[in-house]
Amino acid sequence: MAELSEQLARIEVDGVGKAFDSGSGDRVQALSNVDFAVDEGEFVCIVGPSGCGKTTLFRIIAGLETPTSGTVRLDGDAVTEPDMDRGMVFQEYGLFPWRTARGNVEFGLEQTDADERERARRAQEMIDLVGLDGFEDAYPSELSGGMKQRVGIARALAVDPEVLLMDEPFGSVDAQTRDMLHDELLRIWAKTEKTILFVTHDVEEAVTLADRIVVLTNGPGTVNEIVPVDLDRPRSRTDDAFGRHQERVLDLIRDG
Amino acid sequence: MSIESATERESDATPGTRVRVSGAALRRHLLGLLGTVGFLLAWQAGAMAIAKPFLLPSPFAVASAFVSELASGRMLAKLAQSLFHYVPGLVVGTGLGIAVGVGMGWSETLDSALTPVTRVLRPIPPLAWIAFAIVWIGIGHGGATFIVAIGAFWINFYNAYSGVESVPEDLQDVAASLGIHDDLRMIRKVVLPSATPEILTGVRTSIGQCWMIVVAAELFGAPGVGYQIINAAQNLAMDVSVVYMLVISAVFLVSDALFRTVEGRLLAWRN
Repeated sequence: MAELSEQLARIEVDGVGKAFDSGSGDRVQALSNVDFAVDEGEFVCIVGPSGCGKTTLFRIIAGLETPTSGTVRLDGDAVTEPDMDRGMVFQEYGLFPWRTARGNVEFGLEQTDADERERARRAQEMIDLVGLDGFEDAYPSELSGGMKQRVGIARALAVDPEVLLMDEPFGSVDAQTRDMLHDELLRIWAKTEKTILFVTHDVEEAVTLADRIVVLTNGPGTVNEIVPVDLDRPRSRTDDAFGRHQERVLDLIRDG
Repeated sequence: MSIESATERESDATPGTRVRVSGAALRRHLLGLLGTVGFLLAWQAGAMAIAKPFLLPSPFAVASAFVSELASGRMLAKLAQSLFHYVPGLVVGTGLGIAVGVGMGWSETLDSALTPVTRVLRPIPPLAWIAFAIVWIGIGHGGATFIVAIGAFWINFYNAYSGVESVPEDLQDVAASLGIHDDLRMIRKVVLPSATPEILTGVRTSIGQCWMIVVAAELFGAPGVGYQIINAAQNLAMDVSVVYMLVISAVFLVSDALFRTVEGRLLAWRN
């Protein structure tokens, strides 16, 4: 994907810092001077130890929190609030429990001008894309974790966002389901050509998925290094090169 | 799809479970019947031992009083009188309670402004307002309606408030990322549906609690079933008192069952 470097970066995280007031009255610097960019169509993972501010960074990029310094830009425009251009997928799914799978997928479409027929068509397209056909009328409480997250992804993609922001989306499913969802996500990514920014604490997951891995380190959270993963997909965990990338990222996290 | 194995396991288990459940249900119904018969026998024995119907009327006396109250049309007339303040009081109190509860649960400004007032007023039992009901409206349908409304208000206020307070933050974040940017839409599309189970619990609780208030208000002289209980007792017609006590129970059981059906339909998404 050499041509990407010449294009305008889709997401630019520019000198982002975030300080909180801790309970005891001190200022805690959660993030400091975070700089990186994500190109159009790229799959970027953010990894780091717990407490490095990954989730805070995710929330800032999503527009759910404002940085105390720096800016996040999407296609050149500063991000100030959540909007349809950034689809969000959460670890705990965040599905509307009173809506069926289809109802969840249609939620965003109901906020657009799409008429009922168009909404139904688009929702069905997304449901087929994530492999949920046959479960359209199931409520979230009737679905397994993996199925719930498929609904979450379909819902986020339904309004055709510029980027997909995912915060540890597969952190609550078992290992087998996670492997399957990795394959599915890569297939969906290839098909939709979306830009994906994916937060995880799991290095193996990051090496499995990402074009590039942004390694954050602690205290305060900042970019330690950006590791490109130039391996062909599908990637095998038993492959030597896979292991070398994994070691590299783990070393960066360990040594800070 | 292999991740569906959990569902398959459940459906495998269903037939065996169903047999066991219906066996247990049969046993429970038999025991219930036995308990009821035992209770009636004990009651009858007690009534025979005391042998003073104005202290304890026998089940037979109650049954015959029931038939005569029903046949004379008095029972339905008294019930209608009670419903005439129960229903409007319940509807108005529930509506206002939900509205204020949702408002305060949603808006921090409103919450901060009204919390001291609600904290002081909420513990006051609705019946304590009877003084105002008498002075302002008089103790008829109006006064009773007023007191019932106060009772319904606080129950629904509290449930709606805590229902809205506990709407998961995630859902609002997701909704914002899917194009919900103003408060009214957020309330309509996310907050109210999410708080519906608690709001309905409030409504159901108030359906029961308001009957207590109705009876209490009628003890002060508003016409209706509760007044009839006291009135009959003053004439030492305890069998008639019991009849009207049972009328309240029956009305509650019917309205609660109806409401459960509605609730079950509205909350089909749970489980």
